[in-house]
Amino acid sequence: MKLNKELTELVEAGVIDQNTAEKISNYYANKTSTPQSKLVIVFGILGALLVSLGIILILAHNWDDLTRSTKTVIAFIPMIVGQALCAYTLIKRNDSTAWREACSVFLYFSIGACISLISQIYNIPGNMTTFLLTWVVLGLPIVYVMNSSSASLLYIIGITTYACQIGYWESYHVESYLFWGLFVLILPHYYYLYTRKSESNFFTFHNWFIPLSVIIVLGTLAKDAGELMFVSYMSLFGLIYLIGGTKTLHELRIRNNGYLILGSLGTVVMLLILGFDWFWSDLRGSDKPVAFYRTPEFITATAISLAALALLIYQKSKQSPITLRPAEWVFIVFIGIFFLGMTSPFVLIWINILTLIVAILTIREGALKNNLGILNYGLLIITALIICRFFDINIGFVLKGLLFVMVGMGFFFANLWMIRKKKNLVNPAA
Amino acid sequence: MIALQWYVPGRLIFYKERVLAAGKEFRFRTEPFDPYDAFRGKYVSLTFNQTSVQMKDSATWHEGDMIYALLSTDSLGFAKVSGVTKDEPAEDVDYLKVISGYVYQDTVTSVSINYPFDRFYMEESKASSADEAYHQALRDTSKITYALIKIHKGEGVIVDVFIDGIPLKEVAIQRQKQEEQVQ
Repeated sequence: MKLNKELTELVEAGVIDQNTAEKISNYYANKTSTPQSKLVIVFGILGALLVSLGIILILAHNWDDLTRSTKTVIAFIPMIVGQALCAYTLIKRNDSTAWREACSVFLYFSIGACISLISQIYNIPGNMTTFLLTWVVLGLPIVYVMNSSSASLLYIIGITTYACQIGYWESYHVESYLFWGLFVLILPHYYYLYTRKSESNFFTFHNWFIPLSVIIVLGTLAKDAGELMFVSYMSLFGLIYLIGGTKTLHELRIRNNGYLILGSLGTVVMLLILGFDWFWSDLRGSDKPVAFYRTPEFITATAISLAALALLIYQKSKQSPITLRPAEWVFIVFIGIFFLGMTSPFVLIWINILTLIVAILTIREGALKNNLGILNYGLLIITALIICRFFDINIGFVLKGLLFVMVGMGFFFANLWMIRKKKNLVNPAA
Repeated sequence: MIALQWYVPGRLIFYKERVLAAGKEFRFRTEPFDPYDAFRGKYVSLTFNQTSVQMKDSATWHEGDMIYALLSTDSLGFAKVSGVTKDEPAEDVDYLKVISGYVYQDTVTSVSINYPFDRFYMEESKASSADEAYHQALRDTSKITYALIKIHKGEGVIVDVFIDGIPLKEVAIQRQKQEEQVQ
């Protein structure tokens, strides 16, 4: 065992005594022997997923020799098994996360299989929207009855696909307002994870799935004043970034904090896109709808911006001294730039300056936190900005080359400086 | 939770069985092809011969609305949409709930119809042969292809699809046997 070898070495070197070594050894032995280890949960869910998908495919063969009533009974069998397994879990195995999650996943898929097989038996047309809506609504109780986070993740995927189907993919696409109602229904479970299980992997997954779902679906609200969605999205990324900065989420590792990463990446990508002239010349040239200030896009943009502003003010009121992190204030500046941009072409310069400021602040944050990842992210923003500007600014190859050399050297020296700084922190005498 | 999960598919079965038990039979002329639906096995996709109806009234028709197609039969006994209406017809009238498609307005108004049945499921192994047989039948103008549909209170359920009066499943089996003999 690697651990025992390390412990023996530490005891021999006099770093820890024999007693401490035994305590450490016992701690890990007990920890790994718990039946509900993460691996069991993962394989339980994966197994349920594969079995249920396999059953769907077998039943989809649609045997002609079977009568309609036999096929109908068969369609219900996976759901009956799923419900029976869930009932057994609730009565006998309620403490086991692996049982709860695996049975919930199986039941969730068996509901989808049952509906689609009934559709197949009666040759009901392939209306994906109705199918998805029925499936997610029937699957929602599993989340709360079984207290299952994998069912919750499947539900989020389901409602997002439903909203995309109705809002983006169907020929008669309409606004998917129902999505927001369905979305609210999953928040109590998320709140439960937030308050009780903030260290679980399921909470981490939700921290990615929930903001991603909102980001994907927000675009379905675009109708006549689509350009206003840029304001909505910029404020949404600001809001998401600010949520990522709240107490419980801020304490997570960066990769577990989907809000922070998505908020920051979203803001930067939006700034880079808006750094091109095509958007602004389109904006100046487009006809505004008659009731511009009553369009769903305007209401959406206002609501999200106010929510982000309220959260920003709340967070700053608790801070002393007040510090501004990159990307958390960009949406406020952008609102001003957007409305100026409706008439003035000069906003293009402001957008580029704004991107540069965000990049510099990110580099500064990386330096202050001694975090190489954040530092290089800031440098990457500058690189992306330069590459983007090469497309629409007519400058010579020599200057372009020099700029790249400078950024490349920036990467090199910043990383070297950071590594040295870290070494000094670990070993100040060196 | 369990009651809800049983109620929704159960209700669906109840309505479809009611149409099959009490519905009146109509034969709709069709043209099929065969896409693959990974989630629901194989099916023959149905396109109906009559895709629009001409209207003389001045009612405003919109794309995507649920409307009522009034049904009658032609001299050969096949179903024909003789008109569409926005209000539900009386019970003694044969009608089908459809979705309005593209609306063309000139001296007369032409409303295209999206039928509420667009696929006929086959056993996975037969769908491909059935499709080939159907395409051959379409090229051969002497063969008549149609879907037998039961309709009750505006709702329709496909009973079977036929080529010259022979069910598509049987045509597929015959074709598979012929292919095996050739090999």
